[in-house]
Amino acid sequence: MKLMIPLSLILIFFLLSPLPVSADIASTTEGIPSVQNDDISKSSDREAIDETEIELPADPPADDTGDIFEEEAEEEAVQIADPLYPWNKAMYHVNDKLYFWLMKPLAQGYSIVVPEDARISVSNFFNNITTPIRFVSSLLQFKIKDAGNELLRFVYNSTAGVCGLVDAAKEDLGIKQQDEDLGQTLGSYGIGHGFYLVWPFLGPSSLRDTVGRIGDRFLDPVHYVNPTEASVGITVYDKVNETSFRIGDYEDLKKSAIDPYVSIRDAYLQYRKKKVED
Amino acid sequence: MKQRLCMLVLIIVLVHVPIAAYAGTPLETVKGHVDRVLDVLRDSSLKGESATKIKKDKIRTISDRMFDYTELSRRTLGQNWKRFGTEQQKEFIELYKSILEGAYIDRIMSYTNEKILFNRENPLSEKTTEVQTTILTKKADIPISYRMIRKGDEWRVYDVIIEGVSLISNYRTQFSQILGNKSPEGLLDTLRKKAGKA
Repeated sequence: MKLMIPLSLILIFFLLSPLPVSADIASTTEGIPSVQNDDISKSSDREAIDETEIELPADPPADDTGDIFEEEAEEEAVQIADPLYPWNKAMYHVNDKLYFWLMKPLAQGYSIVVPEDARISVSNFFNNITTPIRFVSSLLQFKIKDAGNELLRFVYNSTAGVCGLVDAAKEDLGIKQQDEDLGQTLGSYGIGHGFYLVWPFLGPSSLRDTVGRIGDRFLDPVHYVNPTEASVGITVYDKVNETSFRIGDYEDLKKSAIDPYVSIRDAYLQYRKKKVED
Repeated sequence: MKQRLCMLVLIIVLVHVPIAAYAGTPLETVKGHVDRVLDVLRDSSLKGESATKIKKDKIRTISDRMFDYTELSRRTLGQNWKRFGTEQQKEFIELYKSILEGAYIDRIMSYTNEKILFNRENPLSEKTTEVQTTILTKKADIPISYRMIRKGDEWRVYDVIIEGVSLISNYRTQFSQILGNKSPEGLLDTLRKKAGKA
Protein backbone atom coordinates (compact mmCIF):
# COMPACT_ATOMS: atom_id res chain seq x y z
CA MET A 1 0.00 0.00 0.00
CA LYS A 2 2.78 2.34 0.95
CA LEU A 3 4.35 1.73 -2.43
CA MET A 4 1.20 2.56 -4.34
CA ILE A 5 1.41 6.30 -3.77
CA PRO A 6 4.92 6.77 -5.17
CA LEU A 7 4.13 4.42 -8.03
CA SER A 8 1.05 6.36 -9.00
CA LEU A 9 3.04 9.59 -8.71
CA ILE A 10 5.55 8.25 -11.19
CA LEU A 11 2.79 7.14 -13.51
CA ILE A 12 1.20 10.57 -13.34
CA PHE A 13 4.56 12.10 -14.12
CA PHE A 14 4.95 9.93 -17.19
CA LEU A 15 1.46 10.71 -18.37
CA LEU A 16 1.97 14.43 -17.96
CA SER A 17 5.41 14.66 -19.47
CA PRO A 18 5.31 15.57 -23.14
CA LEU A 19 7.46 13.11 -25.02
CA PRO A 20 9.60 15.15 -27.37
CA VAL A 21 10.69 17.72 -24.80
CA SER A 22 14.05 17.91 -26.39
CA ALA A 23 15.57 16.14 -29.31
CA ASP A 24 19.07 15.90 -27.97
CA ILE A 25 19.16 12.11 -28.08
CA ALA A 26 18.38 12.12 -31.75
CA SER A 27 20.41 15.13 -32.64
CA THR A 28 23.53 14.04 -30.84
CA THR A 29 23.75 10.79 -32.72
CA GLU A 30 23.28 12.63 -35.98
CA GLY A 31 26.32 14.68 -35.18
CA ILE A 32 26.43 18.34 -34.56
CA PRO A 33 28.80 19.96 -37.01
CA SER A 34 30.56 22.09 -34.49
CA VAL A 35 31.17 21.57 -30.84
CA GLN A 36 33.05 24.55 -29.70
CA ASN A 37 30.58 27.35 -30.18
CA ASP A 38 28.06 26.29 -27.61
CA ASP A 39 30.50 25.29 -24.94
CA ILE A 40 32.51 28.45 -25.01
CA SER A 41 29.57 30.66 -24.57
CA LYS A 42 28.84 28.93 -21.30
CA SER A 43 31.97 30.17 -19.66
CA SER A 44 32.45 33.44 -21.45
CA ASP A 45 29.00 34.91 -21.31
CA ARG A 46 26.87 32.44 -19.54
CA GLU A 47 24.39 35.09 -18.50
CA ALA A 48 23.10 35.17 -22.01
CA ILE A 49 22.49 31.48 -22.18
CA ASP A 50 19.00 30.27 -22.36
CA GLU A 51 19.18 28.07 -25.38
CA THR A 52 18.81 24.34 -25.30
CA GLU A 53 21.48 21.93 -26.35
CA ILE A 54 20.50 22.01 -29.97
CA GLU A 55 22.03 25.04 -31.44
CA LEU A 56 23.15 25.97 -34.87
CA PRO A 57 26.88 26.46 -34.91
CA ALA A 58 28.22 29.92 -35.40
CA ASP A 59 30.09 30.56 -38.61
CA PRO A 60 33.33 28.67 -38.74
CA PRO A 61 36.53 30.64 -39.25
CA ALA A 62 36.73 32.06 -42.75
CA ASP A 63 39.57 29.81 -43.88
CA ASP A 64 37.91 26.70 -42.53
CA THR A 65 36.50 24.53 -45.26
CA GLY A 66 35.09 21.51 -43.49
CA ASP A 67 35.71 18.12 -45.02
CA ILE A 68 34.39 14.63 -44.49
CA PHE A 69 37.04 13.94 -41.90
CA GLU A 70 35.72 16.62 -39.57
CA GLU A 71 32.20 15.28 -39.69
CA GLU A 72 33.42 11.81 -38.96
CA ALA A 73 35.56 13.02 -36.12
CA GLU A 74 32.75 14.84 -34.42
CA GLU A 75 29.97 12.38 -34.96
CA GLU A 76 29.72 11.71 -31.27
CA ALA A 77 29.48 15.22 -29.99
CA VAL A 78 27.18 15.32 -27.00
CA GLN A 79 26.18 18.66 -25.60
CA ILE A 80 24.15 20.01 -22.76
CA ALA A 81 23.03 23.47 -21.72
CA ASP A 82 24.55 24.71 -18.49
CA PRO A 83 22.49 27.76 -17.48
CA LEU A 84 23.09 27.09 -13.78
CA TYR A 85 26.86 27.16 -14.30
CA PRO A 86 27.60 29.25 -11.15
CA TRP A 87 25.65 26.82 -8.93
CA ASN A 88 27.10 23.79 -10.69
CA LYS A 89 30.66 25.03 -10.46
CA ALA A 90 30.19 25.80 -6.76
CA MET A 91 28.75 22.32 -6.16
CA TYR A 92 31.62 20.83 -8.12
CA HIS A 93 34.00 22.44 -5.63
CA VAL A 94 31.86 21.33 -2.68
CA ASN A 95 31.92 17.73 -3.95
CA ASP A 96 35.64 17.94 -4.54
CA LYS A 97 36.20 18.92 -0.91
CA LEU A 98 33.64 16.39 0.33
CA TYR A 99 35.59 13.70 -1.48
CA PHE A 100 39.07 14.64 -0.29
CA TRP A 101 38.15 15.68 3.25
CA LEU A 102 35.37 13.22 4.07
CA MET A 103 34.53 10.39 1.69
CA LYS A 104 38.07 9.41 0.76
CA PRO A 105 39.44 9.21 4.34
CA LEU A 106 36.28 7.38 5.44
CA ALA A 107 36.47 4.91 2.58
CA GLN A 108 40.20 4.40 3.08
CA GLY A 109 39.83 3.66 6.78
CA TYR A 110 36.85 1.45 6.08
CA SER A 111 38.68 -0.56 3.43
CA ILE A 112 41.56 -1.22 5.84
CA VAL A 113 39.15 -2.66 8.41
CA VAL A 114 36.80 -4.47 6.03
CA PRO A 115 38.33 -6.86 3.48
CA GLU A 116 37.44 -6.55 -0.20
CA ASP A 117 35.28 -9.68 -0.34
CA ALA A 118 33.09 -8.40 2.49
CA ARG A 119 32.76 -5.02 0.80
CA ILE A 120 31.70 -6.73 -2.42
CA SER A 121 29.04 -8.60 -0.43
CA VAL A 122 27.76 -5.32 0.96
CA SER A 123 27.64 -3.93 -2.55
CA ASN A 124 25.77 -7.03 -3.75
CA PHE A 125 23.31 -6.67 -0.90
CA PHE A 126 22.46 -3.08 -1.82
CA ASN A 127 22.24 -4.00 -5.49
CA ASN A 128 19.80 -6.77 -4.62
CA ILE A 129 17.43 -4.64 -2.58
CA THR A 130 17.30 -1.96 -5.28
CA THR A 131 15.89 -4.50 -7.73
CA PRO A 132 12.53 -2.61 -7.84
CA ILE A 133 14.29 0.35 -9.56
CA ARG A 134 15.65 -1.86 -12.33
CA PHE A 135 12.53 -4.02 -12.56
CA VAL A 136 10.12 -1.11 -12.93
CA SER A 137 12.48 0.77 -15.28
CA SER A 138 12.81 -2.30 -17.50
CA LEU A 139 9.04 -2.74 -17.58
CA LEU A 140 8.47 0.93 -18.42
CA GLN A 141 10.92 0.53 -21.31
CA PHE A 142 9.07 -2.62 -22.41
CA LYS A 143 12.21 -4.65 -21.82
CA ILE A 144 10.20 -7.60 -20.64
CA LYS A 145 13.08 -10.06 -20.75
CA ASP A 146 15.29 -7.77 -18.65
CA ALA A 147 12.46 -7.26 -16.16
CA GLY A 148 12.03 -11.03 -15.91
CA ASN A 149 15.76 -11.47 -15.44
CA GLU A 150 15.79 -8.90 -12.66
CA LEU A 151 12.97 -10.71 -10.91
CA LEU A 152 14.72 -14.04 -11.33
CA ARG A 153 17.99 -12.55 -10.09
CA PHE A 154 16.21 -11.15 -7.03
CA VAL A 155 14.61 -14.47 -6.11
CA TYR A 156 17.77 -16.47 -6.74
CA ASN A 157 20.16 -14.06 -5.03
CA SER A 158 17.87 -13.59 -2.03
CA THR A 159 17.85 -17.36 -1.46
CA ALA A 160 20.84 -19.12 -3.03
CA GLY A 161 22.81 -15.90 -2.74
CA VAL A 162 22.28 -15.66 1.05
CA CYS A 163 20.01 -12.61 1.30
CA GLY A 164 21.69 -11.02 -1.69
CA LEU A 165 25.22 -11.07 -0.27
CA VAL A 166 26.42 -13.19 -3.18
CA ASP A 167 25.62 -12.47 -6.81
CA ALA A 168 24.84 -16.15 -7.34
CA ALA A 169 22.63 -15.41 -10.35
CA LYS A 170 25.67 -14.13 -12.22
CA GLU A 171 27.99 -16.88 -11.02
CA ASP A 172 25.64 -19.87 -11.33
CA LEU A 173 23.11 -18.82 -13.95
CA GLY A 174 25.19 -16.35 -15.94
CA ILE A 175 22.48 -13.67 -15.66
CA LYS A 176 24.08 -10.28 -15.25
CA GLN A 177 22.51 -7.23 -13.68
CA GLN A 178 21.10 -4.75 -16.18
CA ASP A 179 21.76 -1.24 -15.02
CA GLU A 180 18.46 0.55 -15.50
CA ASP A 181 16.89 3.49 -13.73
CA LEU A 182 14.06 5.94 -14.29
CA GLY A 183 16.36 8.64 -15.71
CA GLN A 184 17.37 6.19 -18.44
CA THR A 185 13.71 5.29 -18.91
CA LEU A 186 12.85 8.94 -19.55
CA GLY A 187 15.80 9.11 -21.91
CA SER A 188 14.55 6.08 -23.79
CA TYR A 189 11.25 7.95 -24.36
CA GLY A 190 13.23 10.63 -26.16
CA ILE A 191 13.25 13.09 -23.27
CA GLY A 192 16.43 15.17 -23.22
CA HIS A 193 18.55 16.10 -20.24
CA GLY A 194 17.12 19.62 -20.08
CA PHE A 195 20.21 21.10 -18.48
CA TYR A 196 23.20 20.04 -16.43
CA LEU A 197 22.75 19.99 -12.68
CA VAL A 198 25.32 19.13 -10.01
CA TRP A 199 24.07 18.08 -6.58
CA PRO A 200 26.13 18.09 -3.42
CA PHE A 201 27.03 14.52 -2.40
CA LEU A 202 25.17 12.99 -5.36
CA GLY A 203 27.39 14.56 -8.00
CA PRO A 204 26.69 15.24 -11.68
CA SER A 205 23.10 15.00 -12.88
CA SER A 206 20.65 16.77 -15.14
CA LEU A 207 17.07 17.95 -14.89
CA ARG A 208 15.85 14.68 -16.41
CA ASP A 209 18.07 12.46 -14.32
CA THR A 210 17.17 14.34 -11.15
CA VAL A 211 13.49 13.66 -11.79
CA GLY A 212 14.41 10.04 -12.48
CA ARG A 213 16.41 9.90 -9.32
CA ILE A 214 13.54 11.16 -7.20
CA GLY A 215 11.41 8.38 -8.67
CA ASP A 216 14.18 5.83 -8.06
CA ARG A 217 14.28 6.87 -4.44
CA PHE A 218 10.63 5.89 -4.05
CA LEU A 219 11.45 2.48 -5.47
CA ASP A 220 14.39 2.06 -3.11
CA PRO A 221 13.43 0.14 0.08
CA VAL A 222 16.07 2.08 2.02
CA HIS A 223 13.89 5.17 1.57
CA TYR A 224 11.18 3.51 3.70
CA VAL A 225 13.43 2.78 6.65
CA ASN A 226 12.30 4.54 9.84
CA PRO A 227 13.47 6.86 11.33
CA THR A 228 14.79 9.09 8.53
CA GLU A 229 18.18 9.32 10.26
CA ALA A 230 18.60 5.58 9.85
CA SER A 231 17.60 5.80 6.20
CA VAL A 232 20.16 8.55 5.57
CA GLY A 233 22.78 6.62 7.52
CA ILE A 234 22.29 3.53 5.38
CA THR A 235 22.53 5.61 2.21
CA VAL A 236 25.79 7.20 3.38
CA TYR A 237 27.17 3.79 4.31
CA ASP A 238 26.30 2.46 0.85
CA LYS A 239 28.11 5.46 -0.64
CA VAL A 240 31.23 4.95 1.50
CA ASN A 241 31.26 1.26 0.57
CA GLU A 242 31.02 2.09 -3.15
CA THR A 243 33.69 4.79 -2.82
CA SER A 244 36.07 2.21 -1.31
CA PHE A 245 36.29 0.48 -4.71
CA ARG A 246 36.98 3.68 -6.59
CA ILE A 247 39.68 5.42 -4.62
CA GLY A 248 42.04 6.85 -7.19
CA ASP A 249 39.55 7.13 -10.04
CA TYR A 250 38.59 10.70 -9.28
CA GLU A 251 42.23 11.66 -8.68
CA ASP A 252 43.17 10.19 -12.06
CA LEU A 253 40.35 12.03 -13.76
CA LYS A 254 41.49 15.30 -12.25
CA LYS A 255 45.08 14.59 -13.17
CA SER A 256 44.29 13.76 -16.79
CA ALA A 257 41.86 16.62 -17.33
CA ILE A 258 42.79 20.05 -18.63
CA ASP A 259 39.50 21.41 -17.25
CA PRO A 260 38.13 18.89 -14.71
CA TYR A 261 34.68 20.53 -14.52
CA VAL A 262 34.16 20.28 -18.29
CA SER A 263 35.71 16.81 -18.39
CA ILE A 264 33.33 15.48 -15.73
CA ARG A 265 30.31 17.10 -17.37
CA ASP A 266 31.19 15.54 -20.71
CA ALA A 267 31.97 12.14 -19.18
CA TYR A 268 28.62 12.17 -17.39
CA LEU A 269 26.78 12.95 -20.63
CA GLN A 270 28.60 10.27 -22.61
CA TYR A 271 28.12 7.72 -19.85
CA ARG A 272 24.39 8.36 -19.55
CA LYS A 273 23.94 8.38 -23.32
CA LYS A 274 25.49 4.93 -23.51
CA LYS A 275 23.26 3.73 -20.67
CA VAL A 276 20.13 5.01 -22.41
CA GLU A 277 21.13 3.32 -25.65
CA ASP A 278 21.84 -0.03 -23.95
CA MET B 1 71.22 -32.98 -46.97
CA LYS B 2 69.92 -30.69 -49.64
CA GLN B 3 66.39 -31.75 -48.76
CA ARG B 4 66.97 -30.90 -45.15
CA LEU B 5 68.25 -27.49 -46.04
CA CYS B 6 65.20 -26.96 -48.15
CA MET B 7 62.99 -27.92 -45.25
CA LEU B 8 64.84 -25.54 -42.98
CA VAL B 9 64.48 -22.68 -45.43
CA LEU B 10 60.84 -23.51 -45.88
CA ILE B 11 60.21 -23.51 -42.15
CA ILE B 12 61.98 -20.20 -41.70
CA VAL B 13 60.02 -18.69 -44.56
CA LEU B 14 56.73 -20.03 -43.26
CA VAL B 15 57.36 -18.75 -39.78
CA HIS B 16 58.51 -15.27 -40.72
CA VAL B 17 56.76 -14.29 -43.88
CA PRO B 18 53.22 -14.12 -42.53
CA ILE B 19 54.30 -11.76 -39.77
CA ALA B 20 55.98 -9.40 -42.20
CA ALA B 21 53.34 -9.47 -44.92
CA TYR B 22 50.22 -9.74 -42.80
CA ALA B 23 49.93 -7.42 -39.84
CA GLY B 24 46.94 -9.22 -38.38
CA THR B 25 43.37 -8.28 -37.69
CA PRO B 26 42.59 -5.27 -35.48
CA LEU B 27 41.63 -7.61 -32.65
CA GLU B 28 44.88 -9.55 -32.93
CA THR B 29 46.79 -6.27 -33.02
CA VAL B 30 45.19 -4.95 -29.82
CA LYS B 31 45.60 -8.30 -28.11
CA GLY B 32 49.26 -8.39 -29.13
CA HIS B 33 49.95 -4.94 -27.68
CA VAL B 34 48.00 -5.61 -24.49
CA ASP B 35 49.77 -8.95 -24.01
CA ARG B 36 53.14 -7.24 -24.41
CA VAL B 37 52.16 -4.66 -21.79
CA LEU B 38 51.04 -7.44 -19.43
CA ASP B 39 54.35 -9.25 -19.98
CA VAL B 40 56.20 -6.10 -18.93
CA LEU B 41 54.00 -5.69 -15.85
CA ARG B 42 54.43 -9.32 -14.83
CA ASP B 43 58.17 -9.37 -15.43
CA SER B 44 59.39 -10.45 -12.02
CA SER B 45 63.04 -9.87 -12.91
CA LEU B 46 62.27 -6.16 -12.69
CA LYS B 47 61.89 -5.07 -9.10
CA GLY B 48 62.34 -2.00 -6.95
CA GLU B 49 62.42 1.70 -7.76
CA SER B 50 64.53 1.55 -10.90
CA ALA B 51 62.32 -1.24 -12.25
CA THR B 52 59.28 1.04 -12.20
CA LYS B 53 61.07 3.46 -14.48
CA ILE B 54 62.23 0.68 -16.82
CA LYS B 55 58.72 -0.76 -16.94
CA LYS B 56 57.22 2.63 -17.68
CA ASP B 57 59.72 3.19 -20.49
CA LYS B 58 58.92 -0.20 -21.99
CA ILE B 59 55.19 0.51 -21.82
CA ARG B 60 55.74 3.88 -23.52
CA THR B 61 57.56 2.11 -26.35
CA ILE B 62 54.62 -0.25 -26.80
CA SER B 63 52.11 2.60 -26.68
CA ASP B 64 54.03 4.40 -29.46
CA ARG B 65 53.42 1.38 -31.69
CA MET B 66 49.87 0.88 -30.52
CA PHE B 67 48.53 4.45 -30.84
CA ASP B 68 48.53 6.79 -33.78
CA TYR B 69 49.01 10.03 -31.87
CA THR B 70 48.72 12.18 -34.98
CA GLU B 71 45.34 10.70 -35.86
CA LEU B 72 44.31 10.92 -32.21
CA SER B 73 45.27 14.61 -32.06
CA ARG B 74 43.59 15.49 -35.38
CA ARG B 75 40.37 13.84 -34.33
CA THR B 76 40.48 15.42 -30.90
CA LEU B 77 40.81 18.93 -32.25
CA GLY B 78 38.36 18.32 -35.11
CA GLN B 79 37.74 21.57 -36.97
CA ASN B 80 40.19 23.41 -34.76
CA TRP B 81 43.06 21.32 -36.16
CA LYS B 82 43.34 23.64 -39.15
CA ARG B 83 43.80 26.68 -36.94
CA PHE B 84 47.15 25.24 -35.89
CA GLY B 85 50.28 25.77 -37.96
CA THR B 86 52.47 22.80 -38.87
CA GLU B 87 54.89 23.47 -36.02
CA GLN B 88 52.02 24.06 -33.60
CA GLN B 89 50.42 20.79 -34.67
CA LYS B 90 53.68 18.96 -34.01
CA GLU B 91 54.01 20.49 -30.58
CA PHE B 92 50.37 19.79 -29.80
CA ILE B 93 50.81 16.09 -30.62
CA GLU B 94 53.87 15.85 -28.38
CA LEU B 95 52.27 17.68 -25.43
CA TYR B 96 48.97 15.81 -25.71
CA LYS B 97 50.80 12.49 -25.88
CA SER B 98 52.87 13.34 -22.84
CA ILE B 99 49.78 14.39 -20.86
CA LEU B 100 47.92 11.21 -21.80
CA GLU B 101 50.84 8.99 -20.93
CA GLY B 102 51.40 10.78 -17.64
CA ALA B 103 47.74 10.39 -16.74
CA TYR B 104 47.25 6.76 -17.64
CA ILE B 105 50.56 5.05 -16.97
CA ASP B 106 49.99 4.83 -13.22
CA ARG B 107 46.60 3.32 -13.91
CA ILE B 108 48.22 0.70 -16.10
CA MET B 109 50.93 0.05 -13.52
CA SER B 110 48.25 -0.63 -10.89
CA TYR B 111 47.01 -3.63 -12.87
CA THR B 112 46.70 -6.69 -10.64
CA ASN B 113 46.05 -9.74 -12.79
CA GLU B 114 42.45 -8.99 -13.76
CA LYS B 115 41.26 -11.09 -16.64
CA ILE B 116 40.88 -9.34 -19.99
CA LEU B 117 38.47 -10.59 -22.63
CA PHE B 118 38.88 -9.64 -26.29
CA ASN B 119 35.29 -9.88 -27.41
CA ARG B 120 34.77 -8.78 -30.97
CA GLU B 121 35.43 -6.39 -33.82
CA ASN B 122 32.80 -3.93 -34.85
CA PRO B 123 33.66 -2.29 -38.20
CA LEU B 124 32.89 1.44 -38.26
CA SER B 125 33.90 2.37 -41.79
CA GLU B 126 36.15 1.11 -44.56
CA LYS B 127 39.29 2.15 -42.74
CA THR B 128 38.17 2.14 -39.13
CA THR B 129 36.98 -0.47 -36.71
CA GLU B 130 36.28 -0.91 -33.02
CA VAL B 131 37.75 -3.71 -30.92
CA GLN B 132 35.62 -4.43 -27.89
CA THR B 133 37.27 -5.80 -24.76
CA THR B 134 36.19 -6.31 -21.16
CA ILE B 135 38.26 -6.19 -18.00
CA LEU B 136 36.81 -8.52 -15.39
CA THR B 137 37.40 -7.15 -11.91
CA LYS B 138 36.07 -8.75 -8.76
CA LYS B 139 33.61 -5.91 -8.39
CA ALA B 140 32.41 -5.35 -11.93
CA ASP B 141 33.06 -5.89 -15.62
CA ILE B 142 34.52 -2.82 -17.29
CA PRO B 143 33.97 -2.49 -21.04
CA ILE B 144 36.86 -0.91 -22.93
CA SER B 145 36.78 -0.39 -26.70
CA TYR B 146 39.67 0.56 -28.93
CA ARG B 147 38.87 2.48 -32.10
CA MET B 148 41.43 1.73 -34.77
CA ILE B 149 42.38 3.02 -38.18
CA ARG B 150 44.24 1.22 -40.92
CA LYS B 151 47.52 2.95 -41.75
CA GLY B 152 49.38 1.10 -44.50
CA ASP B 153 49.25 -2.51 -43.40
CA GLU B 154 48.99 -1.70 -39.71
CA TRP B 155 46.06 -1.03 -37.43
CA ARG B 156 46.63 1.82 -34.98
CA VAL B 157 44.47 2.99 -32.08
CA TYR B 158 43.05 6.53 -32.25
CA ASP B 159 40.46 6.43 -29.47
CA VAL B 160 39.76 4.49 -26.30
CA ILE B 161 36.22 4.22 -24.97
CA ILE B 162 35.88 3.27 -21.33
CA GLU B 163 32.36 2.55 -20.11
CA GLY B 164 30.92 4.49 -23.01
CA VAL B 165 33.14 7.54 -22.48
CA SER B 166 35.31 8.35 -25.48
CA LEU B 167 38.71 9.72 -24.61
CA ILE B 168 39.01 12.00 -27.63
CA SER B 169 35.44 13.30 -27.31
CA ASN B 170 36.10 14.17 -23.69
CA TYR B 171 39.26 16.12 -24.54
CA ARG B 172 37.61 17.68 -27.60
CA THR B 173 34.97 19.27 -25.37
CA GLN B 174 37.67 20.64 -23.08
CA PHE B 175 39.89 21.94 -25.90
CA SER B 176 36.97 23.53 -27.78
CA GLN B 177 36.06 25.46 -24.72
CA ILE B 178 39.61 26.71 -24.25
CA LEU B 179 39.98 27.52 -27.96
CA GLY B 180 36.83 29.59 -27.75
CA ASN B 181 38.64 32.06 -25.54
CA LYS B 182 42.23 31.56 -26.57
CA SER B 183 44.35 31.22 -29.66
CA PRO B 184 46.03 27.90 -30.53
CA GLU B 185 49.18 29.34 -28.94
CA GLY B 186 47.19 29.96 -25.76
CA LEU B 187 46.04 26.33 -25.69
CA LEU B 188 49.60 25.13 -26.28
CA ASP B 189 50.68 27.28 -23.35
CA THR B 190 48.05 25.67 -21.11
CA LEU B 191 49.21 22.25 -22.25
CA ARG B 192 52.87 23.12 -21.69
CA LYS B 193 52.05 24.00 -18.10
CA LYS B 194 50.01 20.83 -17.67
CA ALA B 195 52.81 18.71 -19.10
CA GLY B 196 55.35 20.48 -16.94
CA LYS B 197 57.16 21.92 -19.96
CA ALA B 198 56.42 25.59 -19.49
